[in-house]
Amino acid sequence: MMNLKDILSPFSAWRNLLKEPVTIKDPLTERPGAPRYRGFHKNDIEKCIGCGTCETICENEAIDLVAVANVDTKNGDSGLRPLVDYGRCCWCALCVDVCTTGSLTMSNEYTWVSNDPEDFRYIPGVDKKEWDNNDLGWKKPDYTLIPTERMDMEEMEPSEREGTFLEIVRGYSRAQAEKEADRCTECGLCVATCPAHMDIPGYIRAVREGDMEEGLRLLYETNPLPEICGRVCTHRCEEVCAVGHSGDPLAIRWLKRYIADQVPFEEYKRILGITSIEENGKKVGIIGAGPSGLSAAYYLRIRGFEVTIYEAKSKGGGMTMYGIPKYRLPMNMLESEIGFLEEIGVKFVYETRVGEDISFDEIYKKHDAVFVGIGFEKPYKINIKGEEQKGALQAISFLDDINKGKKVDIGKKVAIVGGGNVAMDAARVARRLGAEVYMLYRRRVEDMPADSEEIHGAYEEGVQIIPQTIPVEIIGEGGKVKSIQYLMAEMVPDEKGGRPKPVPIEGSEQVLEIDTLIGAIGQEADYGFLPQEYLDKIETNRGRMLVDNNNKTTLDKVYAGGDAVNKTADAISAIADGHRAADAIERMLLV
Amino acid sequence: MFHWTPDRSAFPTAGPDGKFDFDSHKLVKIWHGPNHPGVTGNMSLELTISGDEVLESKTHVGYLHRGFEKLYERRTWIQCFPTVVRMCVPESDSNEYNLSAGIEELAGIEIPEMAKWLRTLVLEMSRLQALLRIVPAQGGTVGLGLGVQWGVYLRDLILDRFEELTGGRIYHMYMIPGGVRGLLPDGFKERLEENLILVDEFVLSIKRLMLDNAVFKKRTVGIAHIPVEWIDKYGIVGFVARGAGVKKDVRLDYPYLAYDQLDFDPAISTDSDIYARTWIRWNDIITTVDLLRQIMAKMPKKGEFKAPTPNVLHWQVPKGEVYVRSESSRGEYGFYIVSDGSKYPRRINLRGPSYTHAVSLLEKMLVNSNISDIAATMVSLQTCPPEIER
Amino acid sequence: MENFNSPQEIINFAIQSEQEAHDFYIELAGLVKFNELKVILEQFAAEELGHKTKLSKIVVDTEKTGLTAESVLDMKMADYTVDIQTKPDMTYQDLLTIAMKKEKKAFKLYTDLAQKITDQNIKEIFLGLAQEEAKHKLRFEIEYDEYILRDN
Repeated sequence: MMNLKDILSPFSAWRNLLKEPVTIKDPLTERPGAPRYRGFHKNDIEKCIGCGTCETICENEAIDLVAVANVDTKNGDSGLRPLVDYGRCCWCALCVDVCTTGSLTMSNEYTWVSNDPEDFRYIPGVDKKEWDNNDLGWKKPDYTLIPTERMDMEEMEPSEREGTFLEIVRGYSRAQAEKEADRCTECGLCVATCPAHMDIPGYIRAVREGDMEEGLRLLYETNPLPEICGRVCTHRCEEVCAVGHSGDPLAIRWLKRYIADQVPFEEYKRILGITSIEENGKKVGIIGAGPSGLSAAYYLRIRGFEVTIYEAKSKGGGMTMYGIPKYRLPMNMLESEIGFLEEIGVKFVYETRVGEDISFDEIYKKHDAVFVGIGFEKPYKINIKGEEQKGALQAISFLDDINKGKKVDIGKKVAIVGGGNVAMDAARVARRLGAEVYMLYRRRVEDMPADSEEIHGAYEEGVQIIPQTIPVEIIGEGGKVKSIQYLMAEMVPDEKGGRPKPVPIEGSEQVLEIDTLIGAIGQEADYGFLPQEYLDKIETNRGRMLVDNNNKTTLDKVYAGGDAVNKTADAISAIADGHRAADAIERMLLV
Repeated sequence: MFHWTPDRSAFPTAGPDGKFDFDSHKLVKIWHGPNHPGVTGNMSLELTISGDEVLESKTHVGYLHRGFEKLYERRTWIQCFPTVVRMCVPESDSNEYNLSAGIEELAGIEIPEMAKWLRTLVLEMSRLQALLRIVPAQGGTVGLGLGVQWGVYLRDLILDRFEELTGGRIYHMYMIPGGVRGLLPDGFKERLEENLILVDEFVLSIKRLMLDNAVFKKRTVGIAHIPVEWIDKYGIVGFVARGAGVKKDVRLDYPYLAYDQLDFDPAISTDSDIYARTWIRWNDIITTVDLLRQIMAKMPKKGEFKAPTPNVLHWQVPKGEVYVRSESSRGEYGFYIVSDGSKYPRRINLRGPSYTHAVSLLEKMLVNSNISDIAATMVSLQTCPPEIER
Repeated sequence: MENFNSPQEIINFAIQSEQEAHDFYIELAGLVKFNELKVILEQFAAEELGHKTKLSKIVVDTEKTGLTAESVLDMKMADYTVDIQTKPDMTYQDLLTIAMKKEKKAFKLYTDLAQKITDQNIKEIFLGLAQEEAKHKLRFEIEYDEYILRDN
């Protein structure tokens, strides 16, 4: 088996002596890492929102989110930035791949010498490193670890909507809800942004795990009107959603609605554990059964207070009952939620306008604390010629009448003045009544304060928006509105950085023939119910009551919340006010 | 030729029943490893010797202190992904593949065609770099260190290709559940082909240096013979089984990824000694180079490389259990994965070839062998202690 | 008031008008019920006093008055809003309307006077005063735009 060839053959290796050596000639010259190399971390701290998803995915717990100088906590930014510990890091780059904003990347730098072990714990982007401007290295590849597409919500076709006030949004099925809930990273940026600080990641987890009872408990911890918020909340949480930076934000509102829809109202008492309430003997009077009043009532009642709500109208719910059209919020939802409050012992005194049917003084003296949630009930007039004529309506009262089931004759052509959510509601309701609807707005469509989905809905339903128009006169005939005259406006930028100012263009008069004009330019609070001695003590700022951190007004033992207090003018802020005031009232009276 | 035979008459002898008295205090016990250059990694052999003959060998592990499998019970599924690669350093990609394939099977995810080809490419590149290191190392065990220098250089070139494709040299962390983490960079195929041409030369050089080497043959031919009956008895797989004439190859027996579209026939021998096993693995280099060329020619130019998965942060892989296997350079490499439907794996169990090769088989093989052959025997089984001690 | 003999007389007239405006707001402040509106009216009054002080600092013996005829943004809100009757339950909207209309009137008065006068020096003083009033009006219009027309 062995032969001479086997003895000589190995000597062929000598021919390698003639080859170029393959070892590195100059050991001091650095060999750069490959363009995709997973080297030392970099972070664009301006882009980073401190959502902490990198921290969550890291299997070595090598990343900590820490506070950083010059980065402030703000809406949608925790103000924290990732600190990487190279004693633990394994350079798998999952933190980069999962980064919601794409701010975290890696350079292709891989050599680093230092005598101080502390150096190897550093905050990329904050602690300056020589590879910060190195463009090569691992970047978020073109794939996702977190699904970026939102589950579509089924809606009624725009063509079917005329003539009906049936709810447009159909709601998620279980499979849809669980799939949508799966996209959450549980970063909690939404919790900070939500005025009520709802445990959003918590109830989304409950959806994912199919535990509706836990979900409902979490909702009621901070919000006793989830059915309402699940439908009409302004969902500022979704604007800051971390997932929204690389795709569609979570449909947080629809998930809340899903939970609330799954649990029958009869089960609420058992699930929330309110089977018996121990009375504490203190009385609280609440003026106005809007979201803030109802919220305060719930949290006070479950803590044993005797709660009485005085409401001028015949039903509770405030603007959610009388202002929001039923295609957005069906009546039965509201009635059930209010019914639940009645069931746990909140007393409602309807059709009792404070200041007329009962004096404020009486309420003030009868109760240990008073909560004022009167809302913005009084609309601003457009304040132009001809507004007093028949056919010139106010959106608030128009929507109120429609929700009460009254017949309102608006004719064939309707003009809405305004561009907020109230204007959108009025316009879309008018479309449902079969009218041709024009919306006159002083600025551009992108300046409209209304929610973008409302604007989108209005367009879908055929509302014609005429932007940059300034109504100057309502022309009537025989005491009835006949047409509206308006000027076209040009937008002049504000030197001080405010909204651009619409300035009418000379000679651009237009006349629009209409049957009805609906004003929706804004509302204010009506303090007519307060006697002068109380009025003098209540401090306000531009019509809104001044309150402290506990939602207490400048008047002793009087708390306030809702639109009459905060500028955001949405239900969730009102609910948060009610909760905060309830906490403060409890501290004031019981501690 | 020079030949010397030790005087074995002075050695302790077996008793009348043919058995040694291990309590006679006449036998010597030595530890081969864990810090012995001839040991394949962090393990050690407790040898009882009589003169230079091994009477008994016991394999000891426990030097790694890792407990990966236990760790996985406390990690989310995605967090296992960066760690599994560490269960086998010289050939980490089989781990990545098995974990991803297992999760995909449990979750019912079909990976895109492009990802299948890229995974096949990476697995073959991984096999190539492992073989480039271990084949010349077989020469090292009998004092022929030169081939190792050549092999390590070429392996580094393949690692360069890994670096530009995956971002890492050793731990590639490239096959993520659902697919892979990126497409080929521009010019990758050309650069890989340049490397493969060097490997072609290397294959010939190694043949001249090692396989056609009188000393090497003298030290390996007929040494550490494994009878064919042992193959099933000890669960022997891969090239060791092929060395004994039993063709076992997961790529052929249970085709996965793109292997059913590739044409290859792994070498086989009936000699079943160290030389045969070296020759088979030397042949495997040739097969792998050919496979890499086939893959580069057949793989699609572009396409999706990752299928969508649920949110990995709280992925609850559906309840179930699965055994996934792939062919590593050492043989069948399997993961047994159990999910209880929670965020965390219930069990991820690795079944590597070394578990039987280095424990039960090696202990049996070393009886009556010469201590000078132990290192060559171990390397001829290509044992890898991390597979035993997970 | 149509016959002004010297620039100083014109300035004196303007000072007098600001004082009257101040008095008007103070009177209104006594009328309204709502605390905050009282405060706001007092602010308006104080602003008029400020204007008065500014005018009294003008030295008229030279040709330069320090008043420049730069153009001021005119949102023209005062043009098409309806007149407001003063009454105790006036709202913030009402007050702003009254204030901007008042400034508009002053602006118009000065511009009209400037047109009638041929003396270039005096004409410029009037135009300058008109611009001052236009600035005051813009301040109210912006306030109206931001707080009353929030949704429009």
